[in-house]
Parts: sequence; structure tokens; C-alpha cells
Amino acid sequence: MDKEIRFSKVTHTYQAKTPFAQNALDNVSLTIPAGSFTAIIGHTGSGKSTLVQHINALLKPTSGSIDIFGRTITPNTTNKNLKELRQHVGMVFQFPEKQLFEESVIKDIMFGPKNYGASETEAKSAAVEAMRLVGLDESLEDHSPFDLSGGQMRRVAIAGVLAMKPEVLILDEPTAGLDPRGHKEIMDLAEYLHDQNDMTIILVTHQMDDVIDYASDVVVMDQGEIVKHGRPEEIFAAPKWVYKMHLDLPSSAEFAMKLMDAGVKLTKTPLTIDDLAAEIAKIAGGEGPKE
Amino acid sequence: MSNFIFGRYLPGNSWIHQMSPQSKLLLSFYFVIVIFFANNIWAYGALSVLILFVVIFSGVSIGYFLKGIRPLIWLIIFTVLLQILFSSGGHVFWHFGPFSISDTSLINGGYIFIRFLLIIMISTVLTLTTTPLAIADGVQTVLKPLKKIRFPVDTLALMLSIALRFVPTLMDEMETILNAQRSRGVDFGSGSLKHRIQAAVPLLVPLFTGAINHAENLSTAMEARGFTDSEHRSKYRVYKWKGKDTISWIVFLLVGVVVLFVRKN
Amino acid sequence: MKDIIQIKDISFNYSGQPLLFDHLSLNIHEGEWTALIGQNGSGKSTLARLIDGLIVLKSGQIVVDDLTVNDQNIFDVRSKIGMVFQNPEDQFVGATVEDDVAFGLENRRVPRDRMHEIVEKSLKDVGMWEFRDRIPANLSGGQKQRVAIAGIVALSPKIIILDEATSMLDPRGRQDILNLVARIKAANNLTVISITHDIDEAAHADQVVVVNKGEIIEENKPENIFGETAKLQSLGLSAPFTAQLIAALKQHGIDPNSQYMNDERLIAWIKKFVSQK
Repeated sequence: MDKEIRFSKVTHTYQAKTPFAQNALDNVSLTIPAGSFTAIIGHTGSGKSTLVQHINALLKPTSGSIDIFGRTITPNTTNKNLKELRQHVGMVFQFPEKQLFEESVIKDIMFGPKNYGASETEAKSAAVEAMRLVGLDESLEDHSPFDLSGGQMRRVAIAGVLAMKPEVLILDEPTAGLDPRGHKEIMDLAEYLHDQNDMTIILVTHQMDDVIDYASDVVVMDQGEIVKHGRPEEIFAAPKWVYKMHLDLPSSAEFAMKLMDAGVKLTKTPLTIDDLAAEIAKIAGGEGPKE
Repeated sequence: MSNFIFGRYLPGNSWIHQMSPQSKLLLSFYFVIVIFFANNIWAYGALSVLILFVVIFSGVSIGYFLKGIRPLIWLIIFTVLLQILFSSGGHVFWHFGPFSISDTSLINGGYIFIRFLLIIMISTVLTLTTTPLAIADGVQTVLKPLKKIRFPVDTLALMLSIALRFVPTLMDEMETILNAQRSRGVDFGSGSLKHRIQAAVPLLVPLFTGAINHAENLSTAMEARGFTDSEHRSKYRVYKWKGKDTISWIVFLLVGVVVLFVRKN
Repeated sequence: MKDIIQIKDISFNYSGQPLLFDHLSLNIHEGEWTALIGQNGSGKSTLARLIDGLIVLKSGQIVVDDLTVNDQNIFDVRSKIGMVFQNPEDQFVGATVEDDVAFGLENRRVPRDRMHEIVEKSLKDVGMWEFRDRIPANLSGGQKQRVAIAGIVALSPKIIILDEATSMLDPRGRQDILNLVARIKAANNLTVISITHDIDEAAHADQVVVVNKGEIIEENKPENIFGETAKLQSLGLSAPFTAQLIAALKQHGIDPNSQYMNDERLIAWIKKFVSQK
């Protein structure tokens, strides 16, 4: 099956035909390659969430179409028979711990698989596997999810999506509000799922360091349009343009800009700390890296 | 949620917008009472002319009133039909068992219909021209006399204003939870009744949990901001009685007198 | 320098749970910016709530600007402290921006005329005056936090406590709020306590207190704490960017002879280093 996700001239208008009508997506064409780790960036209100909600047909285009897993979503697509698509496309919303409702952790994680017709045993084994993936101890199985810490609740929610064994995983700011350790654990999980389980990962984020550290593709949105799509180094090659999009640079590039403002002439925009250190060493004509 | 008319304030600067909320609240109430005194074509005519002026002076387009009627259309049709089929007297055109249609019943049905229309129109004008906050403040002012009997008027008004303030927040949250559970394979709004009730659990539990969390955090924040009790606070907003209020009251009272005068005794 | 907050030998636990604080003491210096850092669940937010008397101590004593936090003084203590909480949504009480700023003033029965003056001035201070008619649903998270800060400024407290106030904001909104608080602190000579797990927020501080599992494990100037990259990581925190850069520079044979410098100092050092070569 074709696992590419293809947007063809997709426009989405909220509250169409009212005075409040607003184009949230404007003639968007985009191909997200299967197996990519794609970051979607853009300032608040640029249309990122609207874009990703089209991928599992939570929203339907006002015009245009989306091709995914052999299905075509058009303005006329009905709400029937979307289950299969939604099983393939796992969606982790912002603050996903808000969707927990079952009396025990394991039941909550089994909820998705059971909706998709898994037997009790199948759902249970999928849930146990998902708990292992997100690093939740099995002793928590029978705890109420509401008794857990915020970070643990978030993992239960993510496990609930992973238990459906999706092939595409959409993460909408999955680390918001987490501390640095929690942040790294969630991002490493995404990387693991991408590398080991061949999942296509779509990450909506404001964290440019994560874009550099994890993403293979970057989509930049502004006012409902895709203004750039490329590899991270292509996107951040023009810092002024990035600022114009009301976005931040990765920390290293940001620091490099400050160095240049202070009169230190760098030959390129470094994206990682190591790049930056190497660049400073190079222009200083310093010794090579110490082994 | 775009069809949801209540609490949908339309910003503006019309005559009606400028009136004080307590005036608007009381006049709407008064108007509804007067409607029930009307019992002939002249009385309804007077009220219809008045509401026409109210609509013109509110600057709200007629489309919004139609929108307000739409959700109630079945209730209106049902009540009007009941009135037509069951009221007796006058010249009977048709009858079957307990049902009959007569000229009186048709006229009564027509009156009921106009009553509905008038009530919907006045309440729509009220909500479209008054912010939820102003309505809460209006309620507070109107109920003030009840303070004498230790009725917690200010608490009620504060609760009302906070509840209204959280309506959009909870609506957003509901939308997100709906979408999250849809992504986990829930089909809302299809299948048997039992299935539908079951499908509501994954929506309602998170929604209530969220609301309780909001309430807890909010009460901590209120305490931290020096809130102790709602009955002893100064007030930031006041709505001054304006000339427009006086004129409106005179007009409404006059129309009330006219209705009493022309109604069939 | 005066200790505006004295936490003396306190113990506390949530009901049915083991002791979170077991005989903990800490002093906060007047006019300083103190960062309380630690990972989620370390007890730092609880400490803030104890200071403001929002929860009750099991034993020990907390003194805020010469007032002991207890039932009699609670109202006065709270009028000395302004708190900004984590979730922007859950501290917005008023129906509109200006009503929200007025909320604290109404609680203190400030007369109406004064109230209007103060609300206007406070909203102008945080750059939200043009938004005074907006309802919270039409504001971003960062704008709501600005309004919360205006509500605090309106009451002219001596202490501002930021209880993870920026953790739900995007990086830009976060920087914005920190700059605003720094400006207001300087203008009004305030004491700031910021409770955070964001190390770059802690870099604003004069004094850093590291909390782990209910214990204070370090109390020092930022430059003495931020260089310990490995230790910070073992506590579930991250090292500031400049400390990470210094570590990387060392890998490339460049040694600034320091574990930590803030942005300006490191930039100045690199500039000098590069031009000498």
C-alpha cells in the first residue's frame, strides 16, 4: 500500500459561509514521505493543527483532497468508514492526559484497540507492549490513571495511541509542560518508534532544538500556507527569513547570530553545539579536536 | 457551535447596546409579562410594532433572529398544533374524535405562534446586545433587594460571571476530547441508543475531570489574589442609568397601557 | 541584606502521603531574583503555596516580611505576594482583561475611581491596555500571563512568585514574560522567586536553589551551579546552553577556564579569543 501522505490543493475554511469565515489552510499541496520524521513549525495560528487534523480526517477539506493509505479524503467524504484510516494514523493531541477516562491504566490503554475490534486478549497484549514502549512499569497497570504524576499520565495517553499500532504517529507539542528529563524521554521515544518500528512521525513543535535533533524533514507554515519544505539545514540556512516567520532559531544558531552581531565573523550558521564549537575552533585557527 | 446563539454577543454601539443591562433585563421581563395580557389582534399588533422598533434600534440583522428560532422550531410547531387541534368553541370546520379545528382554534394557534416569536425576538435582542458579563451584573443589580433576606446575590452574580467566562474554554476542551476519542476509534452519534450512551462516557469523564481541575486551580488563584468572600467587595463596573433607559421605559410602559386598553375583556 | 522570606524548620506532607519536607529551612533575600529549580514533583510548587498560606504547614514557621504566615495574618501576607501560576487559563477570573485586573482590587475594596486609575496604569505597564475589552478566549497564553502580571502589579506587592508561570508558553512567549518580570522587578524594587525546571529561566536569577525530592541540595550563585553539567542532568535538569557550549569548546581544544558564563561574558570571551589568534 502507498504510505505517502499527499495533500492536493487543500483549502480549509472555518465557519464557511458566515461573516466569521476564515481560511485556516489556503491551497496547500504537500507530500509527507513514508518513514520520514517530519516537523511542522510555524507561529501560533499559522494552521499547523488544522493541517495535521486533516491527516486522519478529523477535519475535511473545504476544497482539494488528501490521499493516504489508499483512501482519498475530499469535501464529500462522510464520517462513515473512517475507522480504518484512524487506526493507521495515531494522533497525540496537546496535553493528551486530558483524554484519560478509564478506572485503570491498562483499561484506558486497551480502549483504542478494542474500539478497532481487538479481542480482550489482543488488546491486553497490545497495551502491555505499549506500556513497555513508553516506559511505564507494569505494576501501574491497575492504578487509576488519575493518581499518577503528570508525566506518567502523559505516557499512559501516548501508550493508548501506540496500542492501536499505528503506522503514522502525529504528535502535537508532545512535551509541553514537561521537565527536561520528561522532555528527552518523550522525544527519544519518538525517535525509537521512527528508527525501530518504521513509523512515520509528524511532530508539531515550537522547539527548534528538537527539530534539529530529531527531524529529517521540516514544513514551515505561515497564514495557512506552506512557505517552505525541506531538510532542517535548508530551513535554518537563512536566519533572517526564520525571524520574519516569527520563529526562533535553534539555540546554536541563535548564539551564532549574537556572536556575529558582536563582530565575530563565522563562515556558516551552525545548527548544533558541536557545529558551533567546531566553527569557533576553525576561525580561531585553533588546534584540531582533542581525542 | 456556530449555531449556538446564547451568549453570542454582537459588538456594537446601537441605542439598545448603550442601555444599561439591568434596564434591558427588566424590560425584557416586563415585555414577556405584557405578552400574556395580549389577547386580540390589536394588542398583538401594538407589541409587534414595538418589537419591530426594538429590532431596528438594536442594529441586529434579521438573519440572527431566524437563527434563534431554528432550534425551537419543533417546539413551536408542536405547541401551535396542540392549540389548533384541542381548543374548542367557534365555528368548527373539521373534527375527528377529540380533535377539531375551528376558527377560534386557528386564531388561538396564530396567537401562540406570535407569542413565541415575540419572546424569542426580545431575548435574542437582549443576548446579542449585552455581554454575558453585563447580564451577570444586571442580574446582580436586579436581585439586590433580596440581599435583605440574606440571599447571596453577589455570590450568585460572581458564580454566573465565572461560569460564563469558562463556557468557551470548556467548549474548546470538549472539541479536543471529541477529536482525541474519535482518533481512538469512537464513533460518536451513530449506532444504537445503548452504544451512544456508552460513547458518551469517554467524553464526559474527561470533560468533568477537566472542569474540576479548573475549579480547583481557579479557587487557589482567587485565594492568592485576596478573595475571601463575595459579599464584601468593591465593584469595578457600574452601569449608569442613561436618558436612553428613561425613554425606553416610557415607551414600553405606554405600549403596556395600550395593550391593557385594547385587549378584549 | 534583609531576608524577606524566612522558612524555618518546616515539615509538610499531603494527607495520606509521606513527608515531603522534613525540617527544611531557607531564606530569601530581599530585592533578589531567586530561582527554585528541580524536576516535576520535587516539591518546589508546594513550597510556593506554603509561603502564600494556600496550604498549611505541619510544623515549623514561615515569616514573610516580618509577618508570620498564620490564620490571622493571611490576608496581609497575601497582599505582599503576587503569584503567577502555571496554567494561564485557570487564573483568569474576570470576564474581560480589565475586569480580571480589577478582581484583586475589588477583593481589597479599593474605591472605584482609584480602581480605574490603577487598572489603566497596570495594563499599560504590561503592554495590554489596547486589549482591555478582550475576553480570555481571544488571548494567547502569553497574553493571559501578562494580564495575570498586571493583576499583581495593580496590588503593588513586594514579592512576585512565578510558579512555573512560563512552562505552558512557547519559547517566544516565555522570553517575553521573563523580560517583562525583570523590567517590573527593577522598576519597583521587587523580590522575585521563580519556580521552574527551565534552566534558561533560572539564568536570570541572582541566587539558585536546587530542590530534589523535598530537599534543598544546593543554594548558590548561578555561575557556581550551572557549570556542573553532569550533576544537573542527574537531577533531571539540563545544563544552560553556554555551559554545554563551553564543554563542546573544550572538546575542540579551546578552554575558557570556566565551567559557566552567561551569554554576554562568553561572547566577549570568544571574541577576544578569536581576535588574539
